[in-house]
Amino acid sequence: MKKIGTALLAAALLGATLTGCSGSGDKSSGGNGETNIGVAIYKFDDTFMTGVRNAIEKNASGIAKVDIVDSQNSQPTQNDKIDLFLTKKTNAMIVNPVGRTAAGVIIDKAKAKDTPVVFLNREPLPEDMKKWDKVYYVGARAEESGTLSGQIIVDYWNANPSADKNGDGVLQYVMLKGEPGHQDAELRTQYSIQAVEDAGIKVEKVAEDTAMWDRVKGQEKMAAFLAANGDKIEAVFANNDDMALGAIEALKAAGYFTGDKFMPVVGVDATAPALQALEQGTMLGTVLNDAENQGKAAVVLASLLAKGSEMNKDSVGFEITDNQYVWIPYQKVTKENAADFK
Amino acid sequence: MNINIRKIQGFVSQNAIYIVLAVLVIGIAIYNPNFIGINTFRDILVQSSTRVIIALGVAFILITGGTDLSAGRMVGLTAVISASMLQVEDYPRRFFPDLQHLPLLVPILIAIVVGLIFGMINGIIVSKLKVPPFIATLGTMVAIYGINSLYFDTDPNQSQPIGGLRDDFTRIGSGSIGSGDFKIPFIVLIAIAVSIIVWVLFNKTRLGKNMYAIGGNEQAARVSGINVTKYLIIIYSIAGALYGLAGVLEAARTGGATNNYGNMYELDAIAACVVGGVSTTGGIGTVPGVMAGVLIFTVINYGLTFIGVGPYWQLIIKGAIIVAAVAFDMRKYASKK
Repeated sequence: MKKIGTALLAAALLGATLTGCSGSGDKSSGGNGETNIGVAIYKFDDTFMTGVRNAIEKNASGIAKVDIVDSQNSQPTQNDKIDLFLTKKTNAMIVNPVGRTAAGVIIDKAKAKDTPVVFLNREPLPEDMKKWDKVYYVGARAEESGTLSGQIIVDYWNANPSADKNGDGVLQYVMLKGEPGHQDAELRTQYSIQAVEDAGIKVEKVAEDTAMWDRVKGQEKMAAFLAANGDKIEAVFANNDDMALGAIEALKAAGYFTGDKFMPVVGVDATAPALQALEQGTMLGTVLNDAENQGKAAVVLASLLAKGSEMNKDSVGFEITDNQYVWIPYQKVTKENAADFK
Repeated sequence: MNINIRKIQGFVSQNAIYIVLAVLVIGIAIYNPNFIGINTFRDILVQSSTRVIIALGVAFILITGGTDLSAGRMVGLTAVISASMLQVEDYPRRFFPDLQHLPLLVPILIAIVVGLIFGMINGIIVSKLKVPPFIATLGTMVAIYGINSLYFDTDPNQSQPIGGLRDDFTRIGSGSIGSGDFKIPFIVLIAIAVSIIVWVLFNKTRLGKNMYAIGGNEQAARVSGINVTKYLIIIYSIAGALYGLAGVLEAARTGGATNNYGNMYELDAIAACVVGGVSTTGGIGTVPGVMAGVLIFTVINYGLTFIGVGPYWQLIIKGAIIVAAVAFDMRKYASKK
């Protein structure tokens, strides 16, 4: 009797697995005459890329059938998925590479099968882009996000003389970085500070550490920064909103944002929780990496490439730079305009 | 003279983890004396609280001779579940737009029960289907992340981070009792209460005795009349409930949740357990040891950031301590034989 029960349980589990598989299989089988676009996202649980993913799905309706897969933050996995797309003869691909240097191999594969590729959000090396004219890139200039977040701090510093807490004329700051070596993390870190310096403000780095884009780690690192440096800190730069929100929780625990105890905190992404923090006055500002337009531009480009249509500003709806690049600008978001981005 | 050296050696090897902890704290404090203070001490306890709850759950399973890779993903699932039901009514992107204001305990209990059920599933797979725990929990780890992502992706949330959590909920994670410098955070009290309960379970109950017996020698335990299947299911369920509680507290502490919460926490928890003297082959492990193991890692994380050690060095030091602590521990048992 026991054995039968075990067998049934095993069968049920197996059944569940099989139905699970077949469910995802249906979606990708191509219909006749329809444009099929294979989309490989570097990782599904990335907040920003999820926004882009949703925008791709939304904007694809009516122009193409998209098959979106998760590369699980692993380049080998992504290459396997791309091989699958090419075997299935998709008409075009949108690839959000796990590593930017992997693009070269992907372009070679795509060119061999004459399948156009639109790279998304992580810019391939220029020499790889030159390999083929049916390769495009849609993304934002990462340095721009750094520059804009630095400018938000500059505006605050210039408008509030009390921002210079120790009155030494120097901005003492801490930096919460994303994953070390990640292009966005390095550029945002560098350009945010450069924007402050370009505005003629002297800066002093009190502390810097990686919080891996993560809210929990942002909170823990900020708590350690506060304990070690206390009131010396005059501004908090975070490479993304999740870490900025974590830092805000740590600041709240240390008594900030009550009475006149304030700390300017800037992030990047303009996520829903960040917009709420802007409205509550705990976050000073963030920068919107425009997921909606990145997704839209990518899917429009890919569908036009698949059909072999002419590529210009009128057909795409976005300016094309150097024949292969579509740059989507960042936007500053503060308390004043937060409501526009909900 | 000879005896004295041996005595010292014995003391050192019996208390290795506590000595490592003390050396770390003293070393960091010499580098920056500000490290010694009530606020840093409180930060370290707060940051250890959820970890100790997860590590105690993992300890239950390690002591039975098993292992649990699904712990972190269960934390993530329960963090998302509790957060999804505890958003303020006027938040623009609510997970459940029309959800009524629930009593605080309801979502918390739902999350804990979800943890318990998945723990029970682990227990059933291990004890009834006889799947080795490493494989069983590897499978559930992957599947639970899938379930969590599916839930997190439902309309209208569509995989956006869950924010706008109710104040009464976040207070559990960030509030404290007392006043002035002598404030004890709720989350630390919860962790202490859980530790005491687990200590009682380990040391004063039939469940604890049977747990050590199963881990020491499962065949012998079976022969001596212990219902191994039943106890394994109970133990995995308790562990699941602890992960559920930890997930709730992670959401409360950070005021938000995403499906990536808890990622790799199981490895941190296993590392803390083995550093704290829990044997990965089963049968050995104490609650104070696990607590010390967790504290060591928090002191490393927090203390090294405090004195500005770079992130890569932090990883190297962490890795070295895991290996060194276990190597030390092995000597202890070797010298006993």
